[in-house]
Amino acid sequence: MLLAVVQPWPEGKQPTDAALMEGILQGDTGALEALYDRYGRPVYSLVLRIAQHPSSAEEIVQDVFLQLWRSADRFQISRGPLEPWLFTMARNRALDFLRLKREKQRRREDSDSDILPSAVVCPDPEGDIDRSRRAEQVRALMISLPEAQRRAIELAFFEGMSHSEIAEAMGEALGTVKSWIRGGLIRMKESLAEASS
Amino acid sequence: MTCEQLALLYEEYALGVLEGRERAELEEHLARACPNCTPGIAKARWVVVQLTANAADAQPPASLRAKIMDAAKASPRTARNDVPAVSARPIGKPKPIERPQPTSQGAMFPAWAWAAAAALALITGYTIRQMNNQNDQLAQLRKQMKLATAQNQALQNQLDMDHMVAMVMMSPDSMPLKLMPKDKNMPMVHAYLHPHMGVAITAEEMPSMPSARTLQLWFVPKAGKPLSVAIFHPDAAGQIALVAPVNMPRDEIAALAVTEEPAGGSPQPTSAIAWMAAVN
Repeated sequence: MLLAVVQPWPEGKQPTDAALMEGILQGDTGALEALYDRYGRPVYSLVLRIAQHPSSAEEIVQDVFLQLWRSADRFQISRGPLEPWLFTMARNRALDFLRLKREKQRRREDSDSDILPSAVVCPDPEGDIDRSRRAEQVRALMISLPEAQRRAIELAFFEGMSHSEIAEAMGEALGTVKSWIRGGLIRMKESLAEASS
Repeated sequence: MTCEQLALLYEEYALGVLEGRERAELEEHLARACPNCTPGIAKARWVVVQLTANAADAQPPASLRAKIMDAAKASPRTARNDVPAVSARPIGKPKPIERPQPTSQGAMFPAWAWAAAAALALITGYTIRQMNNQNDQLAQLRKQMKLATAQNQALQNQLDMDHMVAMVMMSPDSMPLKLMPKDKNMPMVHAYLHPHMGVAITAEEMPSMPSARTLQLWFVPKAGKPLSVAIFHPDAAGQIALVAPVNMPRDEIAALAVTEEPAGGSPQPTSAIAWMAAVN
């Protein structure tokens, strides 16, 4: 007996994020699977970098995609693409976890016995070309920045620190930190705009 | 702060580093779905999430996909069109509310109990009045603290802005420009054009301006219409010190110009150029 594989979009043509979100709204788990296949890996990489713990990262990523499933009606494609919405949600969840962990560590003196395994680094075999190119560009830009400026931006993005917390952590003047971050973000914005034009 | 001033902060807000008054003002614009700031922040979020590229690429465990799909299947979504219009609660005949039978209160409570209740009511009223007074004092203190914090933040912002102006001015990559006034009685405006940090504008002894008017800085391109860069007012001492982003490649800028515009700025200049400098 032959089993037909039902594919809601033409073969070889990738559905847009908006189409997949519409599928989720209709209760189609296949649409969620397709979004996980598209974004699961970069979302996991981001969350692991922030949470620094694979099992916690797994829980957070699961939580993020289930939130996407349950709260798809809150997302409106007319107000912007899915990517920033999804990654911002993942980053916020991971930073919340990090803050909670730090708070617990502050309260408890006993050290965490878990050994932090390093991330499994492997090439991206089927990543979206545009996303890969953008990622390469952002990495190149960050490498080109002076060490302190790069560190300030990383403390903000991966550790969720504010201007004044970064200034305190780095022992620098608040105005200097603000200039570093603003300058770095402006350069990144220009570089991404040039690439997309 | 105007949308144009806040636009400088969109990426910092999306990154989560913004604090104090700047953050509060931007959130106030977002809370009222500001038509400039809401899409601006959406774009800034897209820029900021690109920093994800700096996280080492990591392969999630194969079991994670199955876990997510199992959990999603266990909590199926209701298709949007299938949402029932009425509550799914079983409909039945409502149970009548049982009311206590009336009793004779006079027989139940003696006179001394009524006196005690009256005294208690008096004490309660007095206590509530005292609490209200204390709440008023507390609200007054909070208001004063809020004002002091806002003043402190304004000073800090000014210091930060001065610091940024100084950084742009001192950078060897900055191109210094003198914006000459059309009116010889007006002071000169200095500009420092930096390819990444922005354009710094400084001036002294500027005449005061009515609140209904503003100064607006433009990039005049070699071809096409002028592009608004910033709107600004001289401070009480007649000084100007600000940094605005460079939103046009330097080699496309033919000149920098300042015009006087209605408060809030104009999409295109509506008055004659008051200051100008050619960019070589």
